[in-house]
Amino acid sequence: MSQKYYEFFCPVKVIAGKAALEHIPYELTGLAAKRPMIVTDKGVRAAGLLDPVIAACEESGLEIVSIYDDVPPDSSTSVVRDIAGIYRQEKCDAIIAVGGGSAIDTGKAVNILVSEGGDDIAKYSGAGILKHPLKPFFVVPTTAGTGSEVTAVAVITDEKKGVKLPFTSSFLLPNAAIIDPRMTLTLPPHITAATAMDAMTHATEAFTCMAKNPLSDAYATAAIKKISQSLLNVMDNPKDAQGRLELAQASTMAGIAFSNSMVGLVHSLGHATGAICHLPHGLCMSLYLPYVLEYNLESIREPLGELLLYLEGPEVYSATPAARRAEATISALRKLRDQLYKRCQLPRTLKETGKVQESQLDHIAEMALDDGSIMFNPKEVTLEDARSVLRRAWA
Amino acid sequence: MLLKRIQPMAFQARRLYVDIMFQVMGRALQAVSEVDETVQNEARALPQGLLFEMMVMPEGPRLIVEHIGDGHFHYHGQSAPRPVDLSIQFKHIAHAFLVLSFQEKTSEAFANDRMLVDGDVSYAVRMTRVLNRLETFILPKLIAKRAVKEYPANLHLPEKLISAARIYLKVATNFVETVRP
Ligand SMILES: [Fe+2]
Repeated sequence: MSQKYYEFFCPVKVIAGKAALEHIPYELTGLAAKRPMIVTDKGVRAAGLLDPVIAACEESGLEIVSIYDDVPPDSSTSVVRDIAGIYRQEKCDAIIAVGGGSAIDTGKAVNILVSEGGDDIAKYSGAGILKHPLKPFFVVPTTAGTGSEVTAVAVITDEKKGVKLPFTSSFLLPNAAIIDPRMTLTLPPHITAATAMDAMTHATEAFTCMAKNPLSDAYATAAIKKISQSLLNVMDNPKDAQGRLELAQASTMAGIAFSNSMVGLVHSLGHATGAICHLPHGLCMSLYLPYVLEYNLESIREPLGELLLYLEGPEVYSATPAARRAEATISALRKLRDQLYKRCQLPRTLKETGKVQESQLDHIAEMALDDGSIMFNPKEVTLEDARSVLRRAWA
Repeated sequence: MLLKRIQPMAFQARRLYVDIMFQVMGRALQAVSEVDETVQNEARALPQGLLFEMMVMPEGPRLIVEHIGDGHFHYHGQSAPRPVDLSIQFKHIAHAFLVLSFQEKTSEAFANDRMLVDGDVSYAVRMTRVLNRLETFILPKLIAKRAVKEYPANLHLPEKLISAARIYLKVATNFVETVRP
């Protein structure tokens, strides 16, 4: 389509590979930051993941002034306010978020408060409210999945009103994302699998949904190739540092892809299921992915067929007739899910999760229809459509 | 140069077109919400009194409707009685023209970063579906297919013809009522 228009933006410096953490002091100094604060959660600290970060900084004479390690899985406005208070009290001048989606989102939100002032983060909720760059902000992801290190979004719960506040601004993007294989080396198998499938879904939806564009396509296909080549190896050899790095990079690349081209129905259903049945996000992604692709099939046959090359390699791709490639892509994803089920019982159907009642499906369908990502699904989804996808995903 | 004289006229025509289409859509939104069950079901989930605005940045044409309850919309014209709750904003009049002349689907315009949402995204998702439904009603099938992602299967010709006629009738009546002093 020559008439197509698109935008693509990713100003995050990616610092990836062996001894990447040791670049943090140099990069902070380059932004005139001398008093960084670490924002993280108890799990990260208990896993000993802060030690290499702190050591890397101290060895270069850069003191970590403060560490907040109590970010909850669902971060809230009061947590953000508390951390901002400590930041000011300790006269910090930069934030390093170490962790998964929640720690990163919290870091983004704290950065709004400490840069813009005030105690009420809700005031800055919405799109395009921020007009100025924020304080130096680095992200060290400890899961390989969410891609939050390269997205311009943060979600924080307002516990008083019981609503989730979205924040969208390109100023939320960190100055740098530090991808070090040491940070994901100890991820347990089921989290490794679920988060990798989240990244796989980001890339697949970015490549097949309405806002796909040539630049995000390049990141999406490269991410899919890395995940399909490395995921099972890492599942079998958790200490495979090279494989871990491949997955972590793939997650960042998939994040760059989907933050520029959005996601679709897999995420709409996943967000609803997460909210209603409290299932982890990555698990929901892995679960719904093939069913949604089957539902979208006739609208995405061509791009979906192309993905076979990145999932199964050139031999399988060229041996598969063009008209069968889209179906073969779905089969390849199903095969991967079966392998993951074998290794860590990552559920493939709603029934297999053991946490969803059949009577909840209607509620999930209704909630999915209100999710923002449904707007970018290549097929217009009706309530009945959502219900029938859920029924197929049931068992 | 001739171009210099012609262009402002073309720009003016485009602005006028967007302006008129907003008026037609505003009236049609109100009309369709009085006759179409699908739109009503979609709109019922919106809070009563929600003010929805579609506008062109920075201070261009706009349309404002209110959900007055039970799935019914009321068209407020260009001005809102109080600050709006949900705003869909085209970045430029050229982009509004693309969508309102049905060269670009509403969902495509979102995907292409032609417009922004200010307000609750879940309401914006619903309003986009309402706008899609509206387009299938007020447009001949051939053009509607281009304007929406999917032409609804449950919109058979008789229903469409009848409803469209009813809507046009209502738009016309509303229009006459508005111009009458
Ligand atoms: Fe995701």
